[in-house]
Amino acid sequence: MTRPVMYALVALWTPAIAALALAALVPLRKKGWPAAAVAIFSSLVSLGSAIALFMDRLHDEVPQQLVAPWIHAGSTVVAEVGVRVDGISASMLVVVTLVATCVQVFSVGYMHDEPPAAYGRYFTLHALFLFSMNTLVIAPNILQLFAGWELVGVTSYLLIGFYFKKPSAARAAVKAFWVTKFADMGLLFGLLVLFAATGNFGWDAKLSHGVATAVTLLFFLAVVGKSAQFPLHVWLPDAMEGPTPVSALLHAATMVAAGVFLVVRTNPLFAQAPATRMVMLGLGAATALFAALLALVQTDIKKTLAYSTCSQLGYMVAALGAGSMLGGFFHLTTHAFFKALLFLAAGSAIHAVHSNEITDMGGLAKKMPITASAFIVGSLALAGVPGLSGFFSKDLVLEAVEGQLSNVPYAALMLTAFLTAFYMGKVVFVAFFGKPSNEKAAHAHESGLSMSGPLMVLMVPTVVAGYFGATFAHVQGEHYHFHFGTGPAVASSLGLAGIVLAYFVYGRGPRTEQPAAVALVDRIAKTRLVNRVYEYGFHNVTLVVASGLAFVDRYVVDGLINLLGYGAIEAGRKARPIQSGFAPDYVLAVVLGVVGLAVWAVFGSWR
Amino acid sequence: MNSHLLSIIVAAPAIAALIVMFISERDGANSRLAIRLVSLVGAAISFAGSLVAIRTYDKALGGLQRVEDYPLIPSFGVHVKLALDGWGGPLLVLTGVILFAGVLASWTVKTRDREFFALLLVLTAGVFGVFVSQDLLVFFLFYEIAVLPMYVLIGIWGSSHKVPARGPFKFVWNIFDIGGKQYAAMKLTLMLLVGSAAIMAAIFVLFLKAGGTTFDMGVLANTKYDRQTQIIVFPLVWLGFGTLAGVFPFHTWSPDGHASAPTAVSMLHAGVLMKLGAFGVMRVGMVILPEGARYWVPVVGAVAAINVLYGAFCAMNQTDLKYIIAYSSVSHMGVVMLGAATLTTTGWNGAVFQMVAHGIMTGLFFALVGLVYERAHTRAILKMGGFANVMPGVAAFFTLGCLSSLGLPGTAGFVSEFMVFLAAWKSQHYFWAIPGVLGAFITAIYVLRATRSIFWGPGPSHDFHDLSDAKKTEWGAIVILGSCLVILGFWPRLILDYIDPGSVEYLGKVLAPVSALARLP
Repeated sequence: MTRPVMYALVALWTPAIAALALAALVPLRKKGWPAAAVAIFSSLVSLGSAIALFMDRLHDEVPQQLVAPWIHAGSTVVAEVGVRVDGISASMLVVVTLVATCVQVFSVGYMHDEPPAAYGRYFTLHALFLFSMNTLVIAPNILQLFAGWELVGVTSYLLIGFYFKKPSAARAAVKAFWVTKFADMGLLFGLLVLFAATGNFGWDAKLSHGVATAVTLLFFLAVVGKSAQFPLHVWLPDAMEGPTPVSALLHAATMVAAGVFLVVRTNPLFAQAPATRMVMLGLGAATALFAALLALVQTDIKKTLAYSTCSQLGYMVAALGAGSMLGGFFHLTTHAFFKALLFLAAGSAIHAVHSNEITDMGGLAKKMPITASAFIVGSLALAGVPGLSGFFSKDLVLEAVEGQLSNVPYAALMLTAFLTAFYMGKVVFVAFFGKPSNEKAAHAHESGLSMSGPLMVLMVPTVVAGYFGATFAHVQGEHYHFHFGTGPAVASSLGLAGIVLAYFVYGRGPRTEQPAAVALVDRIAKTRLVNRVYEYGFHNVTLVVASGLAFVDRYVVDGLINLLGYGAIEAGRKARPIQSGFAPDYVLAVVLGVVGLAVWAVFGSWR
Repeated sequence: MNSHLLSIIVAAPAIAALIVMFISERDGANSRLAIRLVSLVGAAISFAGSLVAIRTYDKALGGLQRVEDYPLIPSFGVHVKLALDGWGGPLLVLTGVILFAGVLASWTVKTRDREFFALLLVLTAGVFGVFVSQDLLVFFLFYEIAVLPMYVLIGIWGSSHKVPARGPFKFVWNIFDIGGKQYAAMKLTLMLLVGSAAIMAAIFVLFLKAGGTTFDMGVLANTKYDRQTQIIVFPLVWLGFGTLAGVFPFHTWSPDGHASAPTAVSMLHAGVLMKLGAFGVMRVGMVILPEGARYWVPVVGAVAAINVLYGAFCAMNQTDLKYIIAYSSVSHMGVVMLGAATLTTTGWNGAVFQMVAHGIMTGLFFALVGLVYERAHTRAILKMGGFANVMPGVAAFFTLGCLSSLGLPGTAGFVSEFMVFLAAWKSQHYFWAIPGVLGAFITAIYVLRATRSIFWGPGPSHDFHDLSDAKKTEWGAIVILGSCLVILGFWPRLILDYIDPGSVEYLGKVLAPVSALARLP
């Protein structure tokens, strides 16, 4: 076993052991704080080995893997499990473990008021999540990736439903699971098609044109579900029912990015399917714009960020659709940092004012300087202000998309860049500047070190990650060189324009009415059209089919069986009078029998 | 002693049953405890024996091992021939673990507990016997021993409920108390007996056509039956055993039967007995009648696909917790039959793995449902809600069961379902694989709806008084079964390594080229 493989195994198994220990050692878990200690310790170990692995990849580009047969049939190995060490898995591992560690430390303070048993459950689920995500990230084949994919889906379900007493949280958890599970059928069918064509679950097979298109389209269905692309984005805003640190880790930085990661990982397959890539480019750009418009009209700070996540994932999908693996992956990385930062800062603010509504905040910048600066830095990075990480990665995306499909996606993404800056500006000006809107906001104070510490840590990559583009590209075996052309100039000017406009609209005191354009979007958003289509389908198709079949089963299929029994009993009842018990009846039967035999004896002998 | 291991496994529950019957009931609490301890020891001996049997099975060698042969009716060539094949080990362990957990789960049976435990043990002795019998007639005898006690167990210890009179056959309510426990017991027994009659007929045809000298399944499997016979006899075996495996449309005994049965009986019946059906179809039908099997598999597979999807949809519409689980069994047994119908090694591995996976999962489910029912006194999920607040452990294990049920990677359910779907797709039976995968999705809908409805949300309401988490022996059953699900999900080779040689060997017989008739219509 080589050293990099060892690092990968440590990164994978430490959280698994932590999760197992916390699940099995009930008293430990129920005590609360030991669970947090175990989970955070395991994440730190995982983070350490991830960094060691990444360092190793800087000067060693040869992928390494260690696999063991998992399912076999006769002498054929059907599926393997193990770890694969290469630039992609190493980079993603660092992102995942770093954000996970920050979020877990943040949670120590954020979840402080939970009862000990719930606190313990929370950290157990976090350890389980990290194990699942790492399983996905360092998978040596798509089957193991699928296993991790489903496992993160389940931890997501359990964490969204963490406050399971709240009916809305319970509904949101189940909805998230159903929507993503529906999409996951695409990945499963894709695996079946791939296996039928190649006999394994690797991503480097040469496929025929048709098979490549089929497999990648099926995979892309799963991506649409997991990475919350239109029209399967509906679960992500609802998923904000979960605790805010969970939203930061799962529903912004890592789990939702798994879809994008899948495409990055299986890039050799997607490269063989230009048709799929066109679909991705179109849908990604459409989602980016659509979700940005919806983000514009949210007043809940977490929902704004959730739609913003959809929108940014749209950027990544569009970049991958345009064939830029690096663009998609780099934006995934920077987005993971700044969006996790934004969510945690939002969490800190929510913790202070006990409300998600930005209208319940106001003036927090003075009361909570660290939180406010974290949120502002994150917003600037998201808006693509030059110098911050988001600027570089967004530029790479735009560069890739430029000129494709008559520049329609390019224009959409440019417009999205403007809208992004505008809606983030709105949140910043309403929540952090101006006057406090109520007593709670007026008496808000900065969160403790457990919460402010991770914010400060995450601010670092949010600012500087952009300058490591070349290193990042080198580890992936690609090249990256930034040059300030017209694209970046236009995009960043649009971003700045958005911020300025937001200042003029929202930055100068409270407003009673929305601008006309925003009000229009608001009216459209309030129709919940996409959600209503699904609800209609579920109630009028799925449930109707189910009740129809259940009726058929109970009253027709089983009814026929009952009818048989009924028939037998009725036949017996009809036949019973023959045994009347009167001697004359039996004598009559004997006589008839004798006559019958005699007739048969006389006439039957003709034959 | 070691050479009699299989006899010990089969006999231990039967002997324990005998001892239980002689325990005086006069001592009150002491005799109650004695009954339970004797039963538990009997179960433990079989369980431990099955673990020894699987550990000592030489998987590289394969074939029949630990052969024991005692003549029973020598003039007809009937022998009690017991032997372990690749499939036997995992299925014995499954039976052992479910029996052990089932005894723990029935600790609180109140009425006539002596007879209850005795019957439960006798039934399980029959199950063990089926899995190791190599003589067709003895196989059948054990099968009947396993099936018949169910009538009494459901009829006496079961529970009743009302089913409204509706539909085109409303008039049958005049004479049947549909939903009642006697009705459920009667329907279950009669349907399975009709199946047994078909099997019996098939067995005699096989015996006579092979020369009428032996019932040895190995010999029968090497006998070349003519094509016409095979095509006529195979459906008898398929539907005969298939009735117990819940094959559509002969599955309707299952929802009523499982819903009415007491906890341990549901566990054993859905967990182990339904597998006897599928095992019989594969081991007797397909292996002994390869040409018949190859002729009929398109039908077998199509019906199995219907099972998966139809069972899942029916489960979705239920509001009675036990019916949900019972219909999900119908759906999941479809996966077993689907795997069997692919006639590929992967598919057969998946089918046998699914027998184990589903057995454990459904055993866990019924144990938990029993716990909930005992405390809540209702099975109507719409009346429940918020139970996770007061029984977090039960909620956690129920969720685990649900996840295995919907085929989550990392649980045993995924391994088998994936193998089966893969085999179906690889052999280009797309119309088997697609309903299969859809069925898994529908499963996700109904199990999570049920979980939300029972355990999540505010509550529990004031109608429920003495709700509490599992206690002492109850934990035993659910922790054992729950851990098995996860362990097998992560490392399926613990049993797959044994199943595989069995599948390879038996499938070799099914696929062996047969003279001029190799190409089938």
